[in-house]
Amino acid sequence: MNIELMLESLRETSPTEALEPQAVPIDETFVTLPPDCIHAAVQVLVECFDLRHLSAITGEDTGDEIVLLYHFWDRHGLTLRTPLPRQNARITTLTDLIPGAAFYEREVSEMLGVAFDGHPNPRTLVLPDDWAGEPPLLRPEKRQ
Amino acid sequence: MSRITIPIGPQHPALKEPLSFLLTVEGERIVESALRIGYVHRGLERIFQNRSYVQNVHVVERICGICSHAHTTTYCQGVEALLGLHIPPRALYLRTLLCELERIHSHLLWLGVLAEHVGFTTIFMYAWRDREIVLDIMEKLSGGRVAHAVNVIGGVRIDVDQEQVRLILARLDELERQIESFLGVIQHERTFRARTRAVGYLSIEQVRSHCVVGPVARASGVDIDLRRDAPYAAYGQLDFRVITAEEGDVWARTMVRALETIESVCMCRQLLAGLPDGPLAVRAPRRVPPSEAVSRCEAPRGELIYYIRSDGSDRPARVKVRTPTLTTLATLPDQLRGVNTADVPTVLSGVDLCIACADR
Repeated sequence: MNIELMLESLRETSPTEALEPQAVPIDETFVTLPPDCIHAAVQVLVECFDLRHLSAITGEDTGDEIVLLYHFWDRHGLTLRTPLPRQNARITTLTDLIPGAAFYEREVSEMLGVAFDGHPNPRTLVLPDDWAGEPPLLRPEKRQ
Repeated sequence: MSRITIPIGPQHPALKEPLSFLLTVEGERIVESALRIGYVHRGLERIFQNRSYVQNVHVVERICGICSHAHTTTYCQGVEALLGLHIPPRALYLRTLLCELERIHSHLLWLGVLAEHVGFTTIFMYAWRDREIVLDIMEKLSGGRVAHAVNVIGGVRIDVDQEQVRLILARLDELERQIESFLGVIQHERTFRARTRAVGYLSIEQVRSHCVVGPVARASGVDIDLRRDAPYAAYGQLDFRVITAEEGDVWARTMVRALETIESVCMCRQLLAGLPDGPLAVRAPRRVPPSEAVSRCEAPRGELIYYIRSDGSDRPARVKVRTPTLTTLATLPDQLRGVNTADVPTVLSGVDLCIACADR
């Protein structure tokens, strides 16, 4: 995996952002992108770099916003981070590029209430069918 | 021919864990299937946020009853990276030793389950009898057969002496002979091949598009193994082969796992022979400075990944776990399409599902 080349291509997908990798422990590169650039960025990664192994999608409610982390791996880790507003959080699905993202997106969707536009089967994954409560990983003190 | 839809599960004889299927059949052939998980969802990712880093070692150990040590290794490795700790080499070797013993245990358990589902009860009995050897070794080392509590943040809590090393080596020889005899059966036994060849087929393209990991991916020709590709613990010091196959069916998965088990026995010998002297653990502070880390390990079923974010307190702000089974589950509708209903248990056990891991 050539991280420098990838970052160069990702910069082209979101030209307005200062796209700098963030140093973290363990061999992993973190990059922050705006939500509307994620699909285009992943398309570049899949088509130009054959980076198709999406290890996981982490969703987290930080209290101010919902952060999504797309963890890719190909002999080296690359994580794309994107912030979403807590109200009406939505983002384009990656299932058309990476079918394996379907389960990850369903889990983030039910746990944090994020809508994935274009997901072929947006049902709950692990919560009961008749679950009527709030998405369980939203921070309780900040629930609206 | 008319189509009939049959619900199977969540409780059913094919798997010991709850998983529900809606199979649409035309006669004996499956044309469509939909699956439902979540029956053993325990809300662990929320629980992690309410426990200290030290308490969470015990919680992650209970995600799975088979690969419990892989979970604590991945978690501890992540927290240690956040703390910037340097783990003593002896601790890394012992951690790796348990990882490989656990892989042997997991693969033998799986071989027994598969053998039972294809109607080969003899191999089921033998595989589970010989699995006791590795369970005995792990019990001698840690005091526990499946929950070992070996890892602590900063190292391990167990040690081995020369007497134990001698005993373990003798039992490993015994185990290797048994696995080699299983390998002969898998390769040459006609009935076994008839039940597993061309069943549950996955192409390399299907494996890659579903981000499948571990032995299932390797049996379809995808050459990935974190132990070699991103060495952690003591794997960088070991000499081993990554086993792959091209066939992509249940038979190939059986071959890959059986050969991997023999590799693991060899790795255990190397680890015991090269065990460095020194301390077993370093002291870890209770509070973790604000940072984040992604930790990956090759669990018996493939890549296990933890994302951990710390906020400066003694509790993690977020721990995300993605277990290897979640990726293989998504391929089941593809594997079941066109399969005879009698082969459903073979397909299900062929991928080595761990529902407790997938649901968390």
